[in-house]
Amino acid sequence: MGLIKKVPVYIEKFPGGGILTTSLDYVLSQSRASSLWYLLFGTACCAIELMATGASRYDFDRLGMIFRASPRQSDLIIAAGTITKKMSPRLRLLYDQMSQPRYVIAMGGCTVKGGPFYYDSYSVEKGIDHIVPVDVYIPGCPPRPESLLEGCLTLQKKIKKEKIADWS
Amino acid sequence: MDHTELTKYILEKFPGKIELLDTGKAEPFFKISADFLLDFCRSIHSDEKLFIDFLCNIGAVDTGKKFEVVYSVASVKNHIRFDFKLEQEYEGAEIDSIQEIWAGANWHEREVWELYGINIRNHGNLTRFLLPDDWNQGFPMRKNWDAPDFVRMPEQ
Repeated sequence: MGLIKKVPVYIEKFPGGGILTTSLDYVLSQSRASSLWYLLFGTACCAIELMATGASRYDFDRLGMIFRASPRQSDLIIAAGTITKKMSPRLRLLYDQMSQPRYVIAMGGCTVKGGPFYYDSYSVEKGIDHIVPVDVYIPGCPPRPESLLEGCLTLQKKIKKEKIADWS
Repeated sequence: MDHTELTKYILEKFPGKIELLDTGKAEPFFKISADFLLDFCRSIHSDEKLFIDFLCNIGAVDTGKKFEVVYSVASVKNHIRFDFKLEQEYEGAEIDSIQEIWAGANWHEREVWELYGINIRNHGNLTRFLLPDDWNQGFPMRKNWDAPDFVRMPEQ
């Protein structure tokens, strides 16, 4: 009953019964935010940091984040690495294959604004927000696992604020 | 055969047709004319003492006035390697394919064609290689290339 003591605003107890009432908004957004399964989409060195974050030292699992190899099972796509112009249609395709609600984290300088390839590059997409809508940007080259964890916590905060009335 | 012997041997084998460039490096670097390319490649490939059986790389350089196509070749058996290059005018640049000697030239030549716009005679499969299939913005490795979202590094 620890959770119930923590959130008395949302949950009321019926005396003598086993029934709880709560807000549907709260339950839905909490459960969405607490099990963000992410698509493995590592295209460059950021993927190494993503792997490190997923491994036991930084332990992504404690946020409920488990990697999936299929976009159909994922809620989140972490674009880790340089996205070239040849790769961008594939990123869009994977994004379109994910079921809603879906979220995107742009990890690293390349996905934010082209990163080290901003100047003098004919092949690198200058920011993946030209291709897919991005929820959280994580700067860094590559970002440390702490930054990625912070980015995921930010995304969770964002998801927890969502309401059914906002669905479209 | 060491570098000095190799340089001497090649210069004596093709008198007047080949020029040694001074690069300051031990490996020799030659310059040949574009119409001599096929004959030169056939000779170094079939020569007993050279036996150049491996094409390492074909690259191109845009010097701002001309194109230079650079070939790096090696012999696995005789442990020698050297480079040679040829020059092409900016307008109508066209070189021969050397696939009949080294079949691996296919991809290198496609790359040279795609990024620099140097046409390859008798290539057979001159299609997009590294760039997207629907690329329509010209030849990106040329010095004067430009595109809407291309940002040049500002002068320091």
